[in-house]
Amino acid sequence: MLMEKIAELFIILILVSVVLNVSSPFIKFAIKLYSFQSLMLALYILIGAVHFNSINLYGSFVITVIFKVILIPYFLFKTLKRVKMDKEIDMYIGIPEAVVFAGSLTLLSNLIAQKIVTAGITFGAFVFTISLATFLIGAMLMITRKTLFSQIIGFLTIDNAIFLAANSITHGMPLLVELGVLFDLFVSILILSILILNLKRSAAA
Amino acid sequence: MYELVLILPAVALIFSVFTDVLLMSYLQLIISTFVFLTVVAISLSFHAITVFFGGLFFVDYINLVILITVSILELFVAFYSFGYVRTEIKHGLSKRKFKFYYFWKNLFIFSMMASIMSNNLGIYWTGLEATTLATALLVSFNRTKESFEATWKYVIMCSVGIAIGLFAIVILYFTTSQVYGESMKSLSFINIIQAGSELDKNFLMLAFILALVGFGTKVGFAPMHNWLPDAHSQGPSPVSALLSGVLLNTALLGILRFYQINASAGIYYPRYFLIGFGFLTILVSALSIIKQKDYKRLFAFSSMENMGLIALGFGVGGIAVVGSLFQILFHALNKGALFLSSGNVLAVTHERKIDKIRSLSKHFPVTGLMLLFGVMGISGMPPFAMFLGEIYIMFGVFKTNIWFGFLVFLLLIFIFAGLFSKILKMYIGVKDGENGQQNENKADSGTRKGKQNKGEKEIHPFMLYVPLILLLISSILLFYMPSPFLHIVKSASAEFGGKIIF
Repeated sequence: MLMEKIAELFIILILVSVVLNVSSPFIKFAIKLYSFQSLMLALYILIGAVHFNSINLYGSFVITVIFKVILIPYFLFKTLKRVKMDKEIDMYIGIPEAVVFAGSLTLLSNLIAQKIVTAGITFGAFVFTISLATFLIGAMLMITRKTLFSQIIGFLTIDNAIFLAANSITHGMPLLVELGVLFDLFVSILILSILILNLKRSAAA
Repeated sequence: MYELVLILPAVALIFSVFTDVLLMSYLQLIISTFVFLTVVAISLSFHAITVFFGGLFFVDYINLVILITVSILELFVAFYSFGYVRTEIKHGLSKRKFKFYYFWKNLFIFSMMASIMSNNLGIYWTGLEATTLATALLVSFNRTKESFEATWKYVIMCSVGIAIGLFAIVILYFTTSQVYGESMKSLSFINIIQAGSELDKNFLMLAFILALVGFGTKVGFAPMHNWLPDAHSQGPSPVSALLSGVLLNTALLGILRFYQINASAGIYYPRYFLIGFGFLTILVSALSIIKQKDYKRLFAFSSMENMGLIALGFGVGGIAVVGSLFQILFHALNKGALFLSSGNVLAVTHERKIDKIRSLSKHFPVTGLMLLFGVMGISGMPPFAMFLGEIYIMFGVFKTNIWFGFLVFLLLIFIFAGLFSKILKMYIGVKDGENGQQNENKADSGTRKGKQNKGEKEIHPFMLYVPLILLLISSILLFYMPSPFLHIVKSASAEFGGKIIF
């Protein structure tokens, strides 16, 4: 019971970090928040692993920490330093409106989750709601902001949401598949970083 | 024998890291030929689903059709690249740049093969995402601002799209894990099909819709298509041919797998989604083709139209499925010929705009004629095999609803008119400067003419004749279909419920 409460705390922190991301115009802070959010995801997976005593989930915890908490934010910070982008982000809609939108998306995903989710899922409809809300807010981040970095952050948020769903409605995908998915994600971040550098260079020239 | 299809591209990948470009182009020819021969041997001896590499990969009739398509187009692209590399190096591109060309191309082929033959949906996903990443740096090969922007759009849109596809796989995994428990078996396609009737129908339907939207982004279905024309037109022409000809089909395979799983559970209404998306794609591409100004974008939209037609065929079912399966191969051959021959024009003139290219009949006699014939083929005119695919699909569509068939037919005429008006202008049109003001600025037009007059002589002969042979094969296939291939297509269509008596 206590474990379930702690797990719920971690999940709520994921949603909080996403909403904070919506409300902040700083790219550096957004990357830090992503790292924090991934750490919360990893800890959630760890609690699942202890609870079910599943080797698969322990492995999933380790690779999530390595790829999502350490490697991807590290490379994003490195790219940010190279680009020397100013920290303010251009947006299509203002921050207050975006936060209100994020709130209504959370409500909407609660409605959807109650329709879809039936009994028998690990932590009930709660996790699914949060994961759906994270997914939608991540998509909103992508379309409301103009900077290339926020598109990456939005994409990573969407990916975290899918991982949360995978680890909540099942005990995680098979380790081989999860490793492949994370590796692909990592390489795509590398390629997007290279593209950002080149786009910046060709815009300056 | 089946393992070779995966091992050979991996070997080529390793070689491409260490060897020189010119040497690598010879090696590539050998390896691509061997891949092709292996696939031919497989398709000649194939009679039932075969599993290899410990159940992670398999070959059945449906992915065999796509496998044949990939291996044929890859063989021709390898020959074309042989000439392409030499021509571009002669024009002053550095050799170092082409080292990456072969590396990424082989990685692309390898991940595409892995994705096509995967029995495990997780591996399918990984392979498909890897194709996006491998082709990303090929699309931005020219290192211009436009190409970087196109690549950015391509990677971001396809990654997000495929992430939605991953959501579909997660939901499917949840559904199947209630039958098989949480193991690799719950992701294995063969096992999922066997347990079809025991699965939760609501979740299967949800998974199909997510997969359709997610993988559909990579196929280029209409509302999610806007990365496609940019990415396909910016890459080097051999890569464009591979992207348009086979990568779209690889993504479509994912949707078809989810479709099959739904069908095995007794859910048949996903086909209406396929019909809807297919029709919308044809509509959007028909409207876009008419106002295109860039000839490679024109062909990219035409690929979109053909993917829409293929999806429509699978949705309609019956005889149209046979047409769609034919269309997968024929479209690859024809679109390959078009992109490769447009690559010849691009390699000499370095010009993408339709308005800037005129009188191809004079300066590019062979290539110009091939473009003309290729457009004839792509719009489904008889001496080329796509006629066969399109007539089957249209027959199926007309059989379901005559007015709907009429509408699709009208759109096809639109596309035909759009393509021909552009290409004919390029082929026999005359430049404004060349006709009237010839006397006034003779020197200017003289130098320009001199530059264009070199035309085809600058190009490596392989680049000239590979598209020609592709078109020739396409033409021969209309009159003589090899019976093993016919058997494969018939068996594959039977898996979609298309029963046809030839």
